[in-house]
Amino acid sequence: MLGAVHTLNIFLPVLYAASFAVYYSDFIKQKNFLYNSKRIFLFITLVLHTFYLLARTIEFNHPPITNKYEIFTVLSFAIAFSYFVLELLSDIRGTGVFIISFALVFQVISSLLIEDLIEVKEVLRNRLLGLHVISALLGYSGFIMSAVYGLLFTSLYKEIKLNKFGLIFERLPSLETLEKLSFYSVVIGFVLLTFSIIIGIIWLPEAFPNFSFFDPKLISTFIVWFVFGFGIVMKTFFGWYGKKVIKFFLAGFILMLLSMFLFNILADSFHSFY
Amino acid sequence: MNLIGISINHRTASIELREALHLSSDEITELTALLKHSALSSGFILSTCNRTEIFGFTKDGKYNFESLLNPLLSFKKINGLSPENFDKFFSCSAVKHIFKVASGIDSLLIGDSQILGQIKEAFQTSEDLSFIDSLTKRLFDSAVKAGRRAIKETFIGQGAVTISFAAVQVVQKIFSNLDSKTALVIGAGETGELAATHLSEKGIHKLVITNRTLEKAEALARKLNAESIAFENITDNLHLFDIVFSATSSQSFIIGKGSVVQMMKKRRGTPVCLMDIALPRDIDPSVRELENVFYHDIDSLNVIVKQNLKKRESELSKVDKIIIEEMINFFSWYNTLEVIPTIVSVRDFFESIANDELSKIKHKVTEADYEKVEDMTRRLLGRLLHYPTIRLKEIAELGKNPQEVINHSVTVKNLFNLNENSITTDES
Repeated sequence: MLGAVHTLNIFLPVLYAASFAVYYSDFIKQKNFLYNSKRIFLFITLVLHTFYLLARTIEFNHPPITNKYEIFTVLSFAIAFSYFVLELLSDIRGTGVFIISFALVFQVISSLLIEDLIEVKEVLRNRLLGLHVISALLGYSGFIMSAVYGLLFTSLYKEIKLNKFGLIFERLPSLETLEKLSFYSVVIGFVLLTFSIIIGIIWLPEAFPNFSFFDPKLISTFIVWFVFGFGIVMKTFFGWYGKKVIKFFLAGFILMLLSMFLFNILADSFHSFY
Repeated sequence: MNLIGISINHRTASIELREALHLSSDEITELTALLKHSALSSGFILSTCNRTEIFGFTKDGKYNFESLLNPLLSFKKINGLSPENFDKFFSCSAVKHIFKVASGIDSLLIGDSQILGQIKEAFQTSEDLSFIDSLTKRLFDSAVKAGRRAIKETFIGQGAVTISFAAVQVVQKIFSNLDSKTALVIGAGETGELAATHLSEKGIHKLVITNRTLEKAEALARKLNAESIAFENITDNLHLFDIVFSATSSQSFIIGKGSVVQMMKKRRGTPVCLMDIALPRDIDPSVRELENVFYHDIDSLNVIVKQNLKKRESELSKVDKIIIEEMINFFSWYNTLEVIPTIVSVRDFFESIANDELSKIKHKVTEADYEKVEDMTRRLLGRLLHYPTIRLKEIAELGKNPQEVINHSVTVKNLFNLNENSITTDES
């Protein structure tokens, strides 16, 4: 099993790179065989990635969430998986190259720096924690995807406004579609983050005696959750549309990045394991 | 092959001459009868606003283009039209030209997809007029196949190559579904009608036409199952439309920036497409500065048209390859026509020998034995003739030179002493 884990750790970046290459080639050349085969490439990558995550869990007897680089591989999987589901549901295949590039980057960093950790804090073996972290990561992958679609929306918007009818104009779906994809990604991300927060509220006070609702990480997560929630409400009930809603979600994404990097690194929190 | 054809198109004649020569369906019926009577055993007439083509197989086997030109010129009698305005084709070049027309690469707008449908209609008309035989039918099937392959396997028909279609393409890059959008077309002239037709074909939810002369707007609206509004009410109703196409001959702006600012306020900022396809322009171009207002004029749309035409031109070599492949397929089949009579003669010859010999023993053996012998004879004939038949067909299908096929046919006929008129089973 350990051999399989190590082999897949080397091959996963290669598989993601191959999927990225196929999506990229199709974006540039638009050949029929590339159009049909790229989804198969990504599917095979996801199947092997699932096997890798399961193998790690079994081999090291804990879910792969005990250090940054395990988190990165889960995040890579979450991004690719979310995109795959969205592509299946919408049959919009022209944006994959942009999303998969994120999965590729996270997986490369993970594969280069990940270690075999058998001895971990007992709290990290908890199943509720696994559910809490994985749903949070899936939620964040939704926000990442929303940001990518938001950036694509902005690029296409500019191209159309400036009468530049290049590759972006030809290959991307319509502005309305990009806006919908961005919104759906945010909604999925928001629901999963809500789920993660609920599990956290139930489990954290039991697991940590020094638990506090004023913990910087909790506060920053609540702020991110509130901002995206506010955007969803404004779009759904108050007719926010187009560039306005896209700008708001992009701002939410920047806030999320700041919350992840600044609060996690600089602030002192009980909610820090690595 | 006694196929000949004449073609008047954008390379050989002015638009005025081409339009004047355009044949209505009644005229095609009348001219077909003339050609059937005088020159062609089968064929077809294709006539669009951009080209008229007459192709067919001659009765006398000669390549006499006057036999097509004279009936046409005397039928239409157009000043300035002469035989020099026509391209002439025969045999292989005629087949190639038909395939090129069907695949859209001979059109004024390269990759024109409408022409394939027009060719189908032309063949259908010929069929209805009993002007088709198996050879013409096969030619038609091969031409349609070449046309379909060109569309399916290359990008020859991709992208908008007219201003109004390019405008619709931009609209589709802004809105995902036109079936929930409302559009206004200002101007019921030729350009306006084309734009309205494109929008209608793309399934626009609600289409409204307006024109200075309301009757014209109403007439176009009736034609496209749309609605019409009075020209004076444009500004007041502008906010109701997600898409506005303007194609009038007005010398000043019909829609100013102030109207669009008001429109966007009423729409609470939801995106709007303003397509100004008029010259001089109908909409103040400064509206493009407004958020969520997508304004395009002829110049900007022309960028798309030029890009798409360039791309289509880059696909020409691929289409040429398809045409050559389909020509090879067609002529492979055509060459087999030469050997089929030979194969039939050989088989008839062997059959008649077998029947002759069987009849000699029929009354000398029991019925059961006769059946066995007859059965064995049929099997024997089948096995003996299997490879010669296959080989002859192969020679015909693979033979690059029709003469090679004829030589083989003659050799086989000589070997078995088969002449064209009779088959003898006389052993002497």
